[in-house]
Amino acid sequence: MHSSRIGLVLIALIAGLGANTAFTASPSVTAVLGNSEAVVGQTVQMEIKVTGANNADLPAEISVDGLEIHETGTSRQFEMHNLTTNSSTVYIYTILPLKPGTFTIPPQMIRVGSSSLRTPALKLNVSDSPNRSTRSNQTAQPASPNQLVFAELIVPKKSAFVGEIVPAEIRLGFDPRAHPKLIDGPEVSGQGFTAQKLQQGGENLETINGRTYDVVTFKTAIAAARSGKFDLGPVKAKAQVLTPRGPGTRRSRSPFDLFNLDDPFSDPFFSDPFGQLGERREVEINSDPVAFEVKPLPPNAPASFSGAIGNFTMTTEAKPKSVLVGDPITVTSTISGRGNFDRVNAPALEDDHGWHKYPPSSKFKQDDEVGISGTKTFEMVLSPNEKKQSIPLLAFSYFDPVKERYMTLHSDPIAITVQGGAAPGPSIAAQPSSPTPATMSAVPAKPQDILYQLTERGRMQSFMPLYARPIFWTSQLIPLLILLGFAGWKMRQARIGNREARRIAALQHEAAELMRKLRRNDVSPREYYAEASRVVRVKAALARNTDPNAIDAETAADTFGLNGDSRERLKRLFEQSDELQYSGTHNGSERISPETRHDVLELLDDLRV
Amino acid sequence: MKGRRLLVGLCCPVICTFVAASSFAQTDFDKANKEYAQGHFKEAIADYGTLVRSGQWSANLFYDLGNAYFRAGDFGRAILNYERSLALERHHPEAAANLQIARDEARALEMQQSWPERYLQFASVHQYSIVAAVAFWVGAFCTVALIFARRRSARLIALSILSFSVYALAIFATYEIDHGNKGRALAIITDDNVQARLATADTANSILALPPGSEIKMLNTRGDWVYAELPNNLRGWIPAKSTGLVRLSK
Repeated sequence: MHSSRIGLVLIALIAGLGANTAFTASPSVTAVLGNSEAVVGQTVQMEIKVTGANNADLPAEISVDGLEIHETGTSRQFEMHNLTTNSSTVYIYTILPLKPGTFTIPPQMIRVGSSSLRTPALKLNVSDSPNRSTRSNQTAQPASPNQLVFAELIVPKKSAFVGEIVPAEIRLGFDPRAHPKLIDGPEVSGQGFTAQKLQQGGENLETINGRTYDVVTFKTAIAAARSGKFDLGPVKAKAQVLTPRGPGTRRSRSPFDLFNLDDPFSDPFFSDPFGQLGERREVEINSDPVAFEVKPLPPNAPASFSGAIGNFTMTTEAKPKSVLVGDPITVTSTISGRGNFDRVNAPALEDDHGWHKYPPSSKFKQDDEVGISGTKTFEMVLSPNEKKQSIPLLAFSYFDPVKERYMTLHSDPIAITVQGGAAPGPSIAAQPSSPTPATMSAVPAKPQDILYQLTERGRMQSFMPLYARPIFWTSQLIPLLILLGFAGWKMRQARIGNREARRIAALQHEAAELMRKLRRNDVSPREYYAEASRVVRVKAALARNTDPNAIDAETAADTFGLNGDSRERLKRLFEQSDELQYSGTHNGSERISPETRHDVLELLDDLRV
Repeated sequence: MKGRRLLVGLCCPVICTFVAASSFAQTDFDKANKEYAQGHFKEAIADYGTLVRSGQWSANLFYDLGNAYFRAGDFGRAILNYERSLALERHHPEAAANLQIARDEARALEMQQSWPERYLQFASVHQYSIVAAVAFWVGAFCTVALIFARRRSARLIALSILSFSVYALAIFATYEIDHGNKGRALAIITDDNVQARLATADTANSILALPPGSEIKMLNTRGDWVYAELPNNLRGWIPAKSTGLVRLSK
């Protein structure tokens, strides 16, 4: 059950892998020379890499006058990224230069299925003397035939300029019978240069001095950081190899070692590995260093030179070509060729007046393993601030190490249409001339003219906001004073109101006290009538809001709206009071009859407004 | 009698000085206008500039100076002076019309206003200040009346609440307009090819290319550089000599 599940998973994985392989990108082709410089008689390798197609139809021979080009092999590569598999086939051609000169290998048409692909044209410089372009250690071989391993560093040039990228190749050879296992490196030691990350180029069997070696090739690129003479390398690596036993345990020599070559593999161990175990030893592999001369760059570099060294071409395009003032235009510059692309910067604008430019973005697509050849694309956004007829010219400078001089590439002029703004140049104050009808449409719209000059200077003003001016705060004193006056008046009114209230309260109190007294039976008639008349006065005064002493019988009767009988009784009460007050009669111990008191109290109680 | 003579003696020189200054200013203004009419724009700019430096500012003076700069092809300073004219007199139709023309010519960038600033702009800071003062005093009188009234009147309470609300709104409007993007910190780019940069160095990365006449809001000044809010809502450093503050201070 368990195994059947595993089987299902495996089938699914394989199916997925197949599907991913089936959906790889459209086929593409690149072509790279192992070295762009060679000597007559020295072979150069050319690789045509077809990616995304299983079967490609390539020519077995390429015909170029002065070169012999033959296909010598193929290799297949599989790459897997995020479960997506890419397969590529590398077709290896060997080029044998027959005469010196500069040769161009023309683009080759490659049929892939129903479509055709084209390789780029490649340039090869061939010299007749080895001093300009020699392959270092070309004939490097193991120093001793007894060696199980060897290393060699191949640098096609012995001199370069500071910053120039020089391809280099490292070859590690192992005797296959030693069952080698690379455990460290290789690495290029030395100072004064930088080496790019090593890329494994391939592995094949080679026969050197009659012995077979498994040769592993690594490719890299070297750039010198300073001028002078120094050594590249040696290349160092560590590997584990199977070696025969030591001399103490040495067996008898193989009967096949007829020439007494002292071949360690003549040990019978190798003919019978199961007979007795050999020793697995760690060995260091070192190559010979390569002498290298680095020349400084010549002075007077162009302004747009950013350190690019090599051989480049540039194309430029712009989109869109019809915009309004202020709209963005994307200018795409493509720099292709061979050189140090890490120092290839965006082309510079020759005249950016009237343009607003934004920092460019860049994208690099390398055509080989080490990134010496490829295409770098820059996208720069420009925005016209005024009317323009074309994109400003772009300039890109580099140093050509072959010609040994600086080169500057210029973009072709790209015509554009910018609308929405007046054309620069004409003076505003200039009098407009009357254009002919034929040129009317080509002349930009005449700018609007400003209005007339004012002859009245107008009143003087200040930029200071009103609230910050002293006059504003001074003027607040007026409402403040009015408010204070208003508040004072209100306070006075309140105080006056309080005095009146106190007076009224006193009168009310007096009236109540008098009424209480009148109800008692212990006062003389004189006193009784005086107090009764006083009660009438106080009540009338409260109703009329006047002084009680100013009230007489008539006023009181009017105040309370008394009818004839009550009015008469009130008058009699006042007369009685006056009589008793001023005549002196009825003094003594006389008392008021209860009927009379009742009448008076009834009259007083009825006094209401 | 003696006091009256002293008063007359003090007032006469002051009045005479004021009248003389006014007449001289009018003479200079007329002279500048004459230079302008003859097409001597540089001389006209110099004469108007003398009046500006003397602090005798008027909307018409800045408007005429703006015209002179426009004719001389200096759109940045033309826009600056039209803006000054409108800052002194919001409804100056000639300055508003010429400002629009100059902006179109220079492709000047304008600051975006916040929505409160935009909606509150139907009145000026002066008007809001007056409204705030009146509303405050009405509210104060109502409050005093309420304090001393025997009976609390609902109308009086409502009026005092309304007055203080109007007062608060007017204060808010004054602050918004005065501290907004077109307030007292508004400045104009006066030179060509001015770049707002990330730092106070000519080699610092550029943030925005500012055509002459573009508006900025000054936030801070450091040496010869001004830190400003830009029309694209970013902030950057601009050379101080390439900017002019719209609202001058004496």
